[in-house]
Amino acid sequence: MVGPTVSLSGLRRADGSASYKCPVTGYDVLGAVNAPVELPARKDALRPEDATIEVFVKPGNTTAGVGEGYVESVLRSVLGSIVLGREKGFPRRGVVITLAIIGGEAVERGDSYLTILPALLHASLLALISAAVPLSMTFATTLLAVTPSGQIVQDPPVEDVANAVSLHVLAFSSKGHLLLNESQGRFDFETWESVREQAASICQGANPRGSDGDTAMDDESKDGTLDNFIREAMEDHLHRVYSWKIESN
Amino acid sequence: MATPTASAVPAAPPSLSLPPSQFARLQPHAYLLAHLSPPPASNQPSIRANGRAPAQFRVTSANSGSLTHTNGSAVVRVGDTTAVCGVRAEILHTDDIASWSVSQASSGNTHKRRRLGDLGGKPTEESDDTYADAQDDEDRAHIQDLNLLVPNLSLSTGCAPGFTPGAPPSSLAQSLSHQILSLLHTSRLVRADDLRIWYQPPNLGREDLERHNEDEAMDVDAGPGAAGLSKPREIKAFWVLYIDVMIISLAGNPFDAAWASVLAALRDTKLPKAWWDIDNETILCSDDVSQARKLSLRGFPIASSFCVFDADAAAAYRAVVIPKADEPKRRGFKQTWILADPDGYEEGLSQERACLVVDKESNGQGKTVIVKMEKHGGWIIDTEDLRQLVSMSAQRWDEMKQILEQC
Repeated sequence: MVGPTVSLSGLRRADGSASYKCPVTGYDVLGAVNAPVELPARKDALRPEDATIEVFVKPGNTTAGVGEGYVESVLRSVLGSIVLGREKGFPRRGVVITLAIIGGEAVERGDSYLTILPALLHASLLALISAAVPLSMTFATTLLAVTPSGQIVQDPPVEDVANAVSLHVLAFSSKGHLLLNESQGRFDFETWESVREQAASICQGANPRGSDGDTAMDDESKDGTLDNFIREAMEDHLHRVYSWKIESN
Repeated sequence: MATPTASAVPAAPPSLSLPPSQFARLQPHAYLLAHLSPPPASNQPSIRANGRAPAQFRVTSANSGSLTHTNGSAVVRVGDTTAVCGVRAEILHTDDIASWSVSQASSGNTHKRRRLGDLGGKPTEESDDTYADAQDDEDRAHIQDLNLLVPNLSLSTGCAPGFTPGAPPSSLAQSLSHQILSLLHTSRLVRADDLRIWYQPPNLGREDLERHNEDEAMDVDAGPGAAGLSKPREIKAFWVLYIDVMIISLAGNPFDAAWASVLAALRDTKLPKAWWDIDNETILCSDDVSQARKLSLRGFPIASSFCVFDADAAAAYRAVVIPKADEPKRRGFKQTWILADPDGYEEGLSQERACLVVDKESNGQGKTVIVKMEKHGGWIIDTEDLRQLVSMSAQRWDEMKQILEQC
């Protein structure tokens, strides 16, 4: 299977940026992060000890509507749980994440936003890392569809989404927590459990955590997992950025 | 002279200690924690600041049909959160749908199947799956593509101090509107068949012949060759349901109340009998109430929301040392509570939310089906907690069904 395409720090004016393209679903998302910035509209009465996270989602062919409002609130809540907004320089300031959907099927009014959620989450995570915003952990996320015959399909194409009985987006942190679950359709709890199992193996591999309590960097079981993919994308980027230093050594 | 000083002495200690209401405002986290984890010596049960047990929902009441100018309406009150929902039906002519003739030509076959299905009488709920499947695709096409359901939720009613009346829709209101719409679509609550206005063109050519020997014609109609005799009936218009929810009082958990009010209002909705009048070339509606019919809804999805309260107020400060998911939780001291149906005070103290929408098959006798399950904002709820939440939501389903059926 062809993995997603990632490029980091492509935008010059933003503090950090990333573009994420998923070849299976065709979604292409460009994310930019500015942090920490002063937010003019921020009210100090609201959690003065923490940073405010603002997320803006811009669809490719129209202005942001109600559906974007919903997906923004989900993204804000997921990213809010991993951004360390109390580190030095961040309280009372804002972390502004702007995501532009520049490719892929448009999401119509009332359509499920779950199909594009993994791409948005990955793009915003990579952009946050690119902007060097302190994070408590990283995550990996995937979309799974349950077909009428009971099969679980990863990253289903558009026609499978239309026919699917249920759709699930799950995000797992690098430490194995379930950070996000969005499921819709008709399903029972046993189905969800097998979906969770499969999502965990896609995101983290069969044996996600080493017994020594530290992340196993070169564990073979992690090859091809999404968690590993994010890590490798960052390593490649850093290697390129610091090539002058590596050369001189 | 002695009496005033005597009364002043008992008044002195309150100036040093705080009444509970002030303590609740100054130290909200410690206040709720003190309720949930009372000292073991006091022998008190763990209870929330609002007097409920962690798994207890607020007292719910519902009333339907209060608004006379709507086709259906309901007021649902969950604790101090109150949602008013009104359903207004308007007619959408197929002539006004730009792509109608094109999309009809391409899906002619499915309509033939539908017509045959109609002859067999109205399908009962989940009676035959194969029929339901064929119908589903078309339902989705009509309801979703033509936007026959238009929910809107308004928080700008002065429902809570944070929302100024008359202001543009806040992001919370937009997000709730989208959730209601998306849940209406995924749960397929409303049948597209209820929203169609049909027209059967008269068979003018053979009218005389049929009138001559009516009984024989009837026999022929029932036979297999009958399809050629009558002209195919066609859709002339749709009912569009405008579902407006006003949260008139907000004390946490707006989604449960809003969804319950939408469900109750749709159950209350009556559409007048409508037909295509060929002479006026327009749709006419009967004002006879006895001819109006109710919507036949699919299932009875009920939403229940939860939030997570973490005993460690500084958890977010020390987020760098988050324990791994499979590490055993600290023994002897319960660190987190999952609170059902959070009120505004508790929502302000928690980051992690979960929302489940469940339905039960065959009118409550069958197994529990999850229609929507979401959790975000933290890392505490996992498989075991979700399993528990599903069974709690299933209990809530029974409770809510009783309340909404009585209203």
